[in-house]
Amino acid sequence: MMMAAEERSVSSETTGETLELRDIVKHYPRPGQGRIQVLDEVDLDVESGAFVSLLGPSGCGKTTLMNVISGLVEPTEGTMRRGGRDVTPNDLSLGYIFQEPRLLDWKTVAGNIEFALEARDVPESEWDERVTRYLEMVNLDTEGDNYPTRLSGGMKQRVAIARALAIEPEIILMDEPFSSLDEITARDLRQELLDIWQREQKTILFVTHDINEAVFLSDYLYMMNSNGKMFARRNIGIDRPRQYDDPEIAQREAELYREFHEHVVE
Amino acid sequence: MNRTQRFGYGVASIATLLAIWYAGGITYPEVLPGLPETVDSLVTVLTTPGPYDHMFYFHVWKTIEMLFASLIVSMILGTLLGIALGRSETLESTISTWIYAWLAIPSLVIVFISAIWIGFNASSGFFAVPVVITPFVALNMWEGARNLDSDLAEMAEFFGADRVQMFTDIIVPQLAPFLFASFRSALSIGWKITLLVEAFLLTRGVGFMFRRYFDQYDLPTMMSWLIIFVVFLIVVEYGVLAPLHERVMRWRPDAEGVRVTE
Ligand SMILES: Nc1ncnc2c1ncn2[C@@H]1O[C@H](COP(=O)(O)OP(=O)(O)O)[C@@H](O)[C@H]1O
Ligand SMILES: [Mg+2]
Repeated sequence: MMMAAEERSVSSETTGETLELRDIVKHYPRPGQGRIQVLDEVDLDVESGAFVSLLGPSGCGKTTLMNVISGLVEPTEGTMRRGGRDVTPNDLSLGYIFQEPRLLDWKTVAGNIEFALEARDVPESEWDERVTRYLEMVNLDTEGDNYPTRLSGGMKQRVAIARALAIEPEIILMDEPFSSLDEITARDLRQELLDIWQREQKTILFVTHDINEAVFLSDYLYMMNSNGKMFARRNIGIDRPRQYDDPEIAQREAELYREFHEHVVE
Repeated sequence: MNRTQRFGYGVASIATLLAIWYAGGITYPEVLPGLPETVDSLVTVLTTPGPYDHMFYFHVWKTIEMLFASLIVSMILGTLLGIALGRSETLESTISTWIYAWLAIPSLVIVFISAIWIGFNASSGFFAVPVVITPFVALNMWEGARNLDSDLAEMAEFFGADRVQMFTDIIVPQLAPFLFASFRSALSIGWKITLLVEAFLLTRGVGFMFRRYFDQYDLPTMMSWLIIFVVFLIVVEYGVLAPLHERVMRWRPDAEGVRVTE
């Protein structure tokens, strides 16, 4: 399914409303016998301006759900609604940060961002300004002419973040973006992400399997079990800015872990 | 190793080869043409007048013409075939066996059959050489197409890349190393087949020169023609392919000036 950029009309009437996913089901045919159910009637609300996390064990269908929202995967059943009307991925203004940076190694850092701008039909006259602005935002303003192969894992993921921001989306999908980074790098990036989220007033849907990460980052989180069923929505309710060593975070994490454990390991 | 050092080692290895050749030519004159005799005949070959000013221009040009025309045809056909095989499982399972069968046909058989079908003229060569080298290109490009990164394609699809961007920014760069590998193997196989065609079927070109001087048992002159063409191939590699390859692959981490930060 190609999403031609010219068909992408972002209906501004519905921005600011909650994006509601209802009864999303996804089956994959299983070679030989029947089918695998990856998503089982998933409901999920992404409130505008919120930092929402989706927590679930590996293989439970988190990436599939993100791909449904982004339009890369067609759901078997279910709807997306916003402000009382059905919407398709093309109606949404989305950015996507994948689990891997997915950069084009043969293009410079700036070239990678320009790739996305060109794909989105952003006029060429705006490219320089956007590249500079978003590389600065992720603290890579000196790396524009460098090649991704010469960057560390953390810096590559920053480029991916800059690329997603550069198309100036309203909602940013992030699929375990820090899971392959070392903890020190990941902590820096989480803090920077929160700063960007607040300053730029973005909406973020963040997938993770790390409860601590979800608690530190989110306003509220969803929990999913291995069968692709969403079993809880919980508010975090801890004031920002948050500190990693705050006992409140550890306590909330312990509570949520208990609940998660009960549902996931039966 | 820096440039000067590398150059030094290159010169040293050529000098050593020449020294061994010189000594070998004196010790076993019936096996190895003497170095001085070879230089003499090389000068004769290079200075003999003929069409295109010099006789050797004409023959070298005819060989190059057949070789490169065949390379262009084979690169295009082989690439299309290889990509089709790498992208379609149906195609892969139906015709992959035939590619291996095609590769197994001895080149000599292809040359002889072309002569019977087409005749003892250059057209046979323009047919036989591409037939021999196309499957090598296809095999290489097939491997490249099989290894295309679907994650990158998905990323490009998400951002809304059109077909042109998908092709030039996502697919071609991933195939580039395979294109270079294909071209190099096609060049080295293609030139041998071109010689075969010229030696057996034609009356011009470097291959024909080999045959003519073979018939006269003139080893030094055969050696001269070999040197001329090998020098030409080295110039193509170091003068064109290697710099181009380096330029296209500039982004690779093993290129000079690697700087991994953080
Ligand atoms: N294209 C596909 N075809 C068949 N099965 C798939 C496909 N994509 C994902 N799956 C299956 O769906 C399940 C959920 O995958 P995924 O959404 O990637 O999980 P998560 O991101 O939570 O680790 C896995 O069991 C996976 O094997
Ligand atoms: Mg995943």
